[in-house]
Amino acid sequence: MSLAIPNGLDNTAERPGERAPLVLGDATYNSITEAVCRIAETPPSRGWLIGFFIASHLAGMFGLCVAYLIYTGVGVWGNRAPIFWGWPIVNFVFWVGIGHAGTLISAILYLFRQEWRTSINRAAEAMTIFAVVCAGSFPGIHVGRAWLAYWLAPYPSLNLWMWPQFRSPLLWDVFAVSTYATVSLLFWYMGMVPDLATFRDRSKNPFRRAAYGILSLGWSGSSRHWMRYEKAYALLAAFAAPLVLSVHTIVSFDFAVSQVPGWHTTIFPPYFVAGAIFSGFAMVITLMVPCRKIFSLEKLITIRHLENMCKVILATGLIVGLAYGTEFFIAWYGQVPEEKFAFINRAFGPYWWAYWTMITCNVISPNLFWVKKFRTTPWIMLIVSIFVNIGMWFERFVITITSLSRDYLPSAWAYFSPTWVDWAMLVGSFGLFFTLFLLFCRLMPVVNMAETKATLAKELHMAHANHG
Amino acid sequence: MGHHQAVERKPANDPAFALPQAVSKLTLPLLAGGLVVLLVGVIIGCMAVDTRFGMSAYLTALIYCTTLSIGSLFFVLVQHLTRAGWSVVVRRIAELMMVMILPLAVLYLPILVAAYQGTLYAWSIEGWAEGHGVPAAIWAEKERYLSPGWFTLRSLIYLGIWSGLAMWYYRNSQRQDETGEITLTERMQARSGPAIILFAFCTSFAAFDWVMSLAPMWFSTMFGVYLFTGSILSAHCVLALASFLLQRAGAMRDEVTVEHYHDLGKLIFGFICFWGYIAFSQYMLIWYGNIPEETHWFYVRSSGVWSTLGVVLMVFHWGVPFAGTMSRHVRRKPWLVATWATYILIIHFVDLYWVIMPEAGFGAGAAAGLAASILCLVGMLAMMVGGLFRLASGVRIMAVRDPRLGESLAFENI
Amino acid sequence: MADSQPQTITAEDGKTVHGVVGEYMDVDSLLSACERVRDAGYTKADAFTPFPVHGIDKALGIKPTVLPWIALVCGLTGTSIALLMQIGMNGDWFSSWIKNFSYEYIISGKPYVSLPAFIPVTFELTILLASFGTFFGMWALNGLPKFSNPMFTSPRFDRATDDTFFLFLPANDEKFDESGAKVLLGELGAEHVEPVVDDDTSLTIPKPLLVGLAATIALSFIPALVVARMRVTKSTSPRFHIFPDMDFSPAKDAQQTTTLFADGRAMRPLVPGTVVRGYPGIEGLDVDYEFQTGVDMEALAAIDASRVERLVALVDEGETEAEEVDGVGDGDVASEAPSDSDEAAPVDEAEAAPPEDNTPWLTSNPLLLDEATLRRGQEQFHIYCAVCHGMNGRGNGLVNQRAQKILASTWTPPSNMHDPTLHQDKYADGKLFSTISNGIRRMPGYAAQIKARDRWAIVGYVRALQASQSASINDIPEEQRDSIAEEQEAVKKAIADAEAEAAKKAAESE
Repeated sequence: MSLAIPNGLDNTAERPGERAPLVLGDATYNSITEAVCRIAETPPSRGWLIGFFIASHLAGMFGLCVAYLIYTGVGVWGNRAPIFWGWPIVNFVFWVGIGHAGTLISAILYLFRQEWRTSINRAAEAMTIFAVVCAGSFPGIHVGRAWLAYWLAPYPSLNLWMWPQFRSPLLWDVFAVSTYATVSLLFWYMGMVPDLATFRDRSKNPFRRAAYGILSLGWSGSSRHWMRYEKAYALLAAFAAPLVLSVHTIVSFDFAVSQVPGWHTTIFPPYFVAGAIFSGFAMVITLMVPCRKIFSLEKLITIRHLENMCKVILATGLIVGLAYGTEFFIAWYGQVPEEKFAFINRAFGPYWWAYWTMITCNVISPNLFWVKKFRTTPWIMLIVSIFVNIGMWFERFVITITSLSRDYLPSAWAYFSPTWVDWAMLVGSFGLFFTLFLLFCRLMPVVNMAETKATLAKELHMAHANHG
Repeated sequence: MGHHQAVERKPANDPAFALPQAVSKLTLPLLAGGLVVLLVGVIIGCMAVDTRFGMSAYLTALIYCTTLSIGSLFFVLVQHLTRAGWSVVVRRIAELMMVMILPLAVLYLPILVAAYQGTLYAWSIEGWAEGHGVPAAIWAEKERYLSPGWFTLRSLIYLGIWSGLAMWYYRNSQRQDETGEITLTERMQARSGPAIILFAFCTSFAAFDWVMSLAPMWFSTMFGVYLFTGSILSAHCVLALASFLLQRAGAMRDEVTVEHYHDLGKLIFGFICFWGYIAFSQYMLIWYGNIPEETHWFYVRSSGVWSTLGVVLMVFHWGVPFAGTMSRHVRRKPWLVATWATYILIIHFVDLYWVIMPEAGFGAGAAAGLAASILCLVGMLAMMVGGLFRLASGVRIMAVRDPRLGESLAFENI
Repeated sequence: MADSQPQTITAEDGKTVHGVVGEYMDVDSLLSACERVRDAGYTKADAFTPFPVHGIDKALGIKPTVLPWIALVCGLTGTSIALLMQIGMNGDWFSSWIKNFSYEYIISGKPYVSLPAFIPVTFELTILLASFGTFFGMWALNGLPKFSNPMFTSPRFDRATDDTFFLFLPANDEKFDESGAKVLLGELGAEHVEPVVDDDTSLTIPKPLLVGLAATIALSFIPALVVARMRVTKSTSPRFHIFPDMDFSPAKDAQQTTTLFADGRAMRPLVPGTVVRGYPGIEGLDVDYEFQTGVDMEALAAIDASRVERLVALVDEGETEAEEVDGVGDGDVASEAPSDSDEAAPVDEAEAAPPEDNTPWLTSNPLLLDEATLRRGQEQFHIYCAVCHGMNGRGNGLVNQRAQKILASTWTPPSNMHDPTLHQDKYADGKLFSTISNGIRRMPGYAAQIKARDRWAIVGYVRALQASQSASINDIPEEQRDSIAEEQEAVKKAIADAEAEAAKKAAESE
């Protein structure tokens, strides 16, 4: 079982013609099972407990803020004319963007046969779902009377046969985000079933065994089942890949179909998608760097995995930078006075600080990853990825707030100031996100064991072929 | 495990890696015939309609060939960037295609001349702005960018960068054929990132300058992406079609397998979807926003024969090939992949025709206009293929000493 | 490999044997064993592996699945549902088949059926249903969830999800015989071979579980029952407000106190010196009470002096009389007698009003009825009146059309202006003015929305409208009569022709 794979943890060098291993150490199938199951089977570490304590309190704060908001009304936010889309929408777009990496890693990288996805896709998918939960809560409460949010659904209201307005981009959003959440959940859960079966089979406690037994649906690992399962996985990946693109495209439509200067530009769909991938991968790095350390998963989530993600961040960061530039150029080339003003105002108007924060974090900071040293050193990537997250939040801030605060009607111009509820909700949504993620780490298989074993099997096969 | 048998490696000088005799002897007829046909096409266009129409037909054909070439360049760069193994057996075809940007650059001369003479671009026509009610202040700003000298300089920059990239990658790949140095692959890999940045910049701005500025007051930030999408889609089609035809002619029979066609088919399918996505997004945003500054471009293209062509594009550039290439069974039959590739290459021309020709201002130009456009395309394409054969006659048509060739030969789809 | 080997199971206890299973420790030996088993003629052999093993489908001869077709059908269903839903709900296509179904509303100047705008939702639903088809289809084809499986009987099988590969030869395979299968698997390098036997754990569900389940189900009915009961019973206590829902306005009502102002009054007096345009009753400005009420004050004074006082007071306060009449109007919806509630008078009087209306209404319009006035009246009529009364005043405006469809039984239709009882001789100008100002039956008063001058202009326009619809040839200037007559002839002929045509067609079809 032991194989001819180097034991060192640096697998970032690769000679063309040979593929560097993605599972390190003297790995066996059993050692993968052990490494992953141990996380859920041993009592939580002190680090986890402290993290959970903080995160769950912040999540509680989020809940209280929502309750306060619903009870009092949306006036507790800083949203004022003409900036009716304040922080809630900024946060919504930010979280939806974060929620793109998971399904992207799972679906698109799967379709492109990128095997380095195997040990990070599970956590990334989980992250996706939790990010979408955070994202979905904002428009839900932004509608004002949150208890009437069901009016968005097509049902014959009040016997008047009033239907939703399908020509509105906001309704497309409802369908896009809910479809995305549903399909991501199915994809995530389906991928987890074989690993839940592993959990079930290792459980000594009958209640635990029953719980994981129900969740794993009686999975036995039959080859006939695997065959259909793999087909279903490939199909879901093929559906999810365009779905990922469509979701942020439709989010970009929310802005771009309007005529607000700075919003109405045709590059928005691909540029939003690139930005979403950018921020999503950054969040995966932010989570995985501490995670692999805390749970000792360095041999499964290797530096090579992280380096590849850094490269994706670099590439998408440059695409985003190119899009910023194109927007600026076309605003000048088009010679529409309002557009020209909107872009100059972004960079040199009252929100110049937000704009330059965005440029620094999104366009400049990822360029550190040109240097191999930086994209193979975990703590540096952690810092850069946090900068990218900040930058992407500011991007949405810049788009939403600067354009609305300076629209066609100069007499209505205003400066946006967030209230304490805005701040608490932004911080609280992170609390919710981390609470869910920490729970996931404890209760579910953090790494896709079945796929990682398949990768290992392939590497074993290659090693035999090369040496035998 | 795995019961797929890798194709056996042949020696580097095996005749399977040389351009078949039957093909290479077509070089001269193609070059000469192509030139004649192209000239006839341009002349008919200029005589039967007017100079601007003739030059537009010429530009359409030229942009078409350029998209094939730079699409291939992008393919090569991406394969290096992603350290791809599967594509090695077909990469040389793309490498040969991308070098064609050099002769194509020469063919841009008439376009530059036309920019000076005011026979193609509206912005270079004397008095156009006043005639179309463009305020003088705005036009003065516009002219700072859309002036013949500056336009020429920019064109030279784009062509220069593309040619430089193409030549550098081509030379290194050729050198590896002889020496088999692995460091060459590493070096090409290392430079592919910056190369793609340069490429993206050039492609986007070339699309603005050469095509979008035909309608000087119109603008769309996504326009570069739109042309790029068509370009990369058709480049994949060229690869599939060329591999198929070369195999029919007797070259690299064993090396390019069903698996490679399957993968190319998947990518073609993916890019068909991507084209639909980009085209739809651009239309949707402009249609929904309904701002006069933007809508006039689509307004022209949704009246008369152009509206029919627009519907044709929707159905036949997206709908039909989408359904046609969806099935795995289709993608695993080389002749079907080649057929669909040919189909896409034709419809890609219709796409460019619909984008460029309405600005010539003469509807479809009646029968003579259509004939002129088609002759220009056929002539230009024949010249490019002739040049391709000329280039390929002296070299191998597969990267025989690429370190990842083994991986490509053993490649199997999921 | 494992630290403690679990107890081996044998078939000696006389249990049903489902087949024989052999264990393998690596992929290659499993694959070669699979091929040998297949070649030996087994068609139902199955392998159980911790991860999908590449090439095992071929080695075991497993057929491809129909799953892609299921996904395709579901996806196309999603496409169709989405398109039908959007076109049906926002478009006007289905209205001819299903009455009142669609909700046609113009948004940003787009057509009802705007395909580009429908594409996003169509795409999403296609993907959603295709994904459902794939996900649920896969589990259904696999026969899962299924929590009991003979394979699970052996504790050794727990390692099938960890690191061990199992090759299973089922008893229902034609080639199967127990000892032969055991020997075959052993020969093929199995580390361990054992029969798969029935699960012997008890089939009875534990009692506490059953009790708990029953209790949960019973308890879960309680909220539904409470709600159901609340829906059929009446209560005197105020409505239960889970959400405030803007039911309680924080705005102050008249005569309430507040701490916001030093004088404690919520109602704010006008700032000294304010002159409000169109606001009657300001000192120093002459108020034409007749113009404001439509009543001949002098004549009324002769009949009922107290009513004059009240009317004057109301006009001075700038209140509309409609508010005073509101109580009557609300309580009196069903009343069809116009004389009852069109009374432009305070509540007490309305209640005591005699059946005959003796109010001395102004009989002529105080405005000069020139073209400008009539145009103004027409414009105001179109804005405020036509939605119910219709452009031609026949009482069939859009609101009426819609209301007839959905509220037919409780709806009071708007009056037809061309009814003879509403002509000048029966319904004086002043009375019509008062009706516009104060409302009648279901119609609210418009005094707050339309200025008095414009109300008079509307009265003038209504008169013109009435005249237009019941005019005779003699009302027309002489030089135009001939051409009108010609036109009438042409119309009559066209009608006759059409009737003849219809009759002919009817005859033919019979």
